Amino acid sequence: MKCNDLAKALSEEMPLSLEAQEHVKSCKRCQELVKALNLPVAVESLPPATLQQIAEGIATNLRPVSPVAPAGYFLGGIAGIFVSIVALCVYRMGALAIAVMAPLQTVAILTALAVSTGLLAYSLVHQMIPGSPQRVSPRLLPVGIAVSLTIVIAVLFQFQHEQNFWGRAWPCIRAGTPIGVLAAVPFWLILRRGAILFPAMTGATTGLLAGLVGTSVLEIHCPDLDAWHILVSHLGIAVLCALAGLIVGLAVEIKGYAVNSLNSNHKGHLA
Amino acid sequence: MFHPGVTPRVAAANDPQMECGIQDNVVPRQSFGDLDRWMERYQQADPDAPAALVGAISPALLRFFRSQVASREQADDLLQETWLRIHRVRHTYRPGEPVLPWIYAIARRVRVDGYRRTRRVTLHEIAMELLPERPAPVRDRNLGPAFDTLVAALPEAQREVVTMLKVGGLTLEEVARATSSTVGAVKQKAHRAYERLRDLLQSGEGAKGAAQ
Repeated sequence: MKCNDLAKALSEEMPLSLEAQEHVKSCKRCQELVKALNLPVAVESLPPATLQQIAEGIATNLRPVSPVAPAGYFLGGIAGIFVSIVALCVYRMGALAIAVMAPLQTVAILTALAVSTGLLAYSLVHQMIPGSPQRVSPRLLPVGIAVSLTIVIAVLFQFQHEQNFWGRAWPCIRAGTPIGVLAAVPFWLILRRGAILFPAMTGATTGLLAGLVGTSVLEIHCPDLDAWHILVSHLGIAVLCALAGLIVGLAVEIKGYAVNSLNSNHKGHLA
Repeated sequence: MFHPGVTPRVAAANDPQMECGIQDNVVPRQSFGDLDRWMERYQQADPDAPAALVGAISPALLRFFRSQVASREQADDLLQETWLRIHRVRHTYRPGEPVLPWIYAIARRVRVDGYRRTRRVTLHEIAMELLPERPAPVRDRNLGPAFDTLVAALPEAQREVVTMLKVGGLTLEEVARATSSTVGAVKQKAHRAYERLRDLLQSGEGAKGAAQ
């Protein structure tokens, strides 16, 4: 066993193995580390009056509250909203792309969109409850999904040199963006049932999810199969919405801490 | 004599020499089990629940803030702010779930806001006029010196993980929940922190702190 392995063993929750203990005995550096990690931690005393003050502060007007619903309830809600809006929009606009895409393209792109939606919804449902377990880092997920969808589109569709690129892109952007904005409203109504601790991160995730509603509608509706067109005017809507969500979240964070700052300067104490 | 796998908190509680100033404040791990029940009663507006929760968790939270911010005054403010927020969002605790990650996740957010607030105040106020030089911070005699000084040299993310693990007594899974991270990421941070600590000890910086 090497010193590096011991650091790894210490970061596990299990007690040190016999081999590790032998190494500690023979290695002075590791002995010092283990000793240091076992140094006593004295806790500063909190005056009972302070504790009482805090407890009394929060006990004033204490009312019973109902715990939030289970995660599956919110997950179902988000999925329901997503599917309903996509179905409604496709019903109104038509499913022209399904007719021109190859079956493999149809299945692959719709699966990729469904998986992305599922992952984002799962992440959001856990972000709204403090201390929830996260299987995938919520910071990296929006970026990971945007990159993955870009790769999927680049692999599935051919890059062509269209004439009048922006003339063809603009109607899609104009149709998809309001759908994303519209979808963000019910998502936000669901999220406000919980406690958002990091609004910028949650804003970006919500924006991307709402934008994917617009992207999904366009993927089913728009018969233009140029990869550039799909990347810019379909997936671009999701990225735009994610950026908008990020900006809104940052604004909320700045406003939130400014308000807290004001409270703590003037009247923030529980007393 | 060292005991591999024993956290400083447990070591302190087992060491008769450390009884003074520690035993009254350190919350043994087994008593955290009751917190879930107290939290449920808090949601049901049991008037005894706030005092029980505040009494049990505040020392650990204070310790958490003290490891991240400079002064006791700031840590006290953050503690009060944390309880205000806990009260506001108490409906988001799901009965049956571990309560500590829920509380630490909120405390962590409060700490971030506190850090930004302090930075903003510092930037604005010092820029306006020259202030007299600050006296060197005087350590509270009751404060345990060694572990604090040692982890102070770590980067913020690693310090947070080590503090939660070694002082808060949280498990890897609980730290992952509290930091909106994965267990793998927490293990990696802890691993890097231990390697860095070993380097610091060898170079003598940490040893100086430990010797204080």
